Amino acid sequence: MTELEAGRAERLAPVRNGMALQRYRDVLIALIAFAVLASLPLFTGSKALLDFVIRCSAYGLFATSLNLLVGYTGLTSFGHGMFFGLGAYSFGLIMQKLGVPIPVAFVATLAITALIAAVIGAICVRLKEIYFAFVTLAFQMLIHSTILSWASFTGGDQGLRGGIPRPAFFGIDLSNHVHLYVTSCALLILGLLAMRQIAQSPFGFTLRMIRDNAARASFLGIDVWRAKLTVFVLAALFASIGGMVMALFVSGAYPEFAYWTISGEGIFINMLGGVSTFLGPMVGTVLLLLLNDTVTRFTEYHGIVLGVVILFFALGLRKGLLDFVAEWFSRRRDAGEGR
Amino acid sequence: MTRTRTPGISRRSTLALMGAGAMTFAAPWVARAQAKTIKIGMPTILSGRVAQLGTSSRNAVMLEVEKVNAAGGLAGRQIEMVIRDSKGQPQEAARVARELVNTDGCELMIDAEASSGAFAVHEVARDLGVFCIHTNSETSALTADPKQRIPNAFRTARQGVHDSIVGGSYAAAIAKAKGLKKWATCSPDYAYGRDTTGEFTLYLKRFAPDVEIISESWPKLFQPDYTEVVTKILQAKPQALYSCLWGGDLTSYIDQANIYAMFGQMEVFAVNMADYTALTVVKNLPKGIHSGNRYIKSFPATPENAAWGDAYKAKYNEYPTNWSWENATAIMLMAEAAKKANSADGKKIAEVLKGLTIKCPFGADGTVTMRGDDHTLVGYAIGWGTTIPQEPYVPEIKAGDWKTIFELEAEWKKSKGYT
Repeated sequence: MTELEAGRAERLAPVRNGMALQRYRDVLIALIAFAVLASLPLFTGSKALLDFVIRCSAYGLFATSLNLLVGYTGLTSFGHGMFFGLGAYSFGLIMQKLGVPIPVAFVATLAITALIAAVIGAICVRLKEIYFAFVTLAFQMLIHSTILSWASFTGGDQGLRGGIPRPAFFGIDLSNHVHLYVTSCALLILGLLAMRQIAQSPFGFTLRMIRDNAARASFLGIDVWRAKLTVFVLAALFASIGGMVMALFVSGAYPEFAYWTISGEGIFINMLGGVSTFLGPMVGTVLLLLLNDTVTRFTEYHGIVLGVVILFFALGLRKGLLDFVAEWFSRRRDAGEGR
Repeated sequence: MTRTRTPGISRRSTLALMGAGAMTFAAPWVARAQAKTIKIGMPTILSGRVAQLGTSSRNAVMLEVEKVNAAGGLAGRQIEMVIRDSKGQPQEAARVARELVNTDGCELMIDAEASSGAFAVHEVARDLGVFCIHTNSETSALTADPKQRIPNAFRTARQGVHDSIVGGSYAAAIAKAKGLKKWATCSPDYAYGRDTTGEFTLYLKRFAPDVEIISESWPKLFQPDYTEVVTKILQAKPQALYSCLWGGDLTSYIDQANIYAMFGQMEVFAVNMADYTALTVVKNLPKGIHSGNRYIKSFPATPENAAWGDAYKAKYNEYPTNWSWENATAIMLMAEAAKKANSADGKKIAEVLKGLTIKCPFGADGTVTMRGDDHTLVGYAIGWGTTIPQEPYVPEIKAGDWKTIFELEAEWKKSKGYT
């Protein structure tokens, strides 16, 4: 070890310790969050609340995975919804046609998503900004059109009909509402934890560097294309898990899951919640679903209400809610320290 | 030191938020406390391109519910409709349907969704066991496929295959009489368009074997410009054209085809023409378009049907649609079944509803029947006629023969492996 290297190792040691500490903290938070969510059915009989959390899991995984691309890597994908749809359809089709146990279908769906995401990503991540956005959108429309026109296989615009069979595995029966609820919560928490680890890993910081200055990252010896492709595939996997949760919730898969509006909702959620904090999209998900569910109860002109809310966030706050809160806290802290 | 107000959530708004949250979760108990009325949930499409589907379904339901409530309600319980928008998204339809049952305490359900939404609500009905009548989905498989069937779900909409059989036999008779051998088709490119056109040509060829399809066009759903399609058809020079375009698509198609004087050059069979949504919107309705009846107050030509159409028009200042009569029939059947069962319980209503025949203004012979073995409506008025540019628009409609429909439907079911 040269003197220089030794010095660097010394400097890096506290950083590594700090990261390990943070990891333990994240795991602890995840465990507590899961315990709280999973014990909810003991306190309330409200099926609507459980339904709400299940949908939050599906959209939350999807939106947070989109934030890996948008917030951390600076890749604004307009076609991320295709992986949501792909997850729902692959899982539904495998369960309907092959009748394999659910974990097998789950893993197989992830494998299919990874393969397709790798092919699409390899083409898309070379492109920048608006070109990237539009080519991802184009692939989404391709997948959506395939689902529509391959009616003998996918059921076309009627979707996968007849329900998704849910045989019990390891004592978990997903046709039971509470089991489905706890499983969705587990998938959400595990998914968030995994994405948090990705975001806080050296790879995650590489992504931030690529976002801020790709040329510089490249000069430092980072294979930018490979890093972008990796995060594209990883994000697709989590979106696909979100799709599977949704397929289980509605017991079917519909072409709307792969339509661009789902991607649009993902972007909207990120705008609502904020992209600069890890939990921003999760907050955005809860906000959007709450807003949607309450507004549609009272009026069919929900479009106007949602539009006003978008305007408020875009023009008023100019950032997502959690970004706003985070900044407010740091300003207060700074003020407290007399800076 | 002065303390300025810092931005953020104040104590007061926190309390307000908590209050709102508590209300949300208390809603189911509040709902159950008012068990004297019976709530019927109805997810439908109230926004977007096909909002008319939802509004005209809602109008018809409210018209009938008022009558039932005035006559004492559903087995003595006043009906309260809870109608919510699904935006035409199946996942929203499923969510809304679950919410209606789980949170709002709806004991019965009218599913006024189109195509994929209906299948999503069907899964909810399977899951929750709630009594459900599908009122707008015409997809045959919804009730014909035994895999879909559940004891608590019914359908009061037309069934695609019934329309095709009647349309095919009517068109074949004209094809033979006028010697129409070369046919073209032009239908929207999605499941309904493809299936309906396929079944129509199947029965057309069955009754008139020398018919030949020389050109097929599949415009996109909600396509604004049909020039390309119209010129393609004109170049193929068919003697007759079949189309199952509907609503705004059909009216824009006719308006654009009129520019090319298309309707003078061939016989046109447009199954969805005879609905007020299309008839009253087209600028120059050509004379002599053949159409199936969707809803028209002059067919069946009974005082009951005319009175129903006029009552609707008087109340809402527009004519009913095909969706209107389908939804009205659902309430009529529910009310009659509840009376027979002397109960508003979904299970008891479902038992009585199987095979129930009721008097109905939309029946071919003044009655309609909920067929017991596949839970779908039969005996409704179904027929074809030709248009004139002013009211009554389709003066003479030739009624389809239900005996033939039943025979061919049974055959079709066998060919699909449903029986």
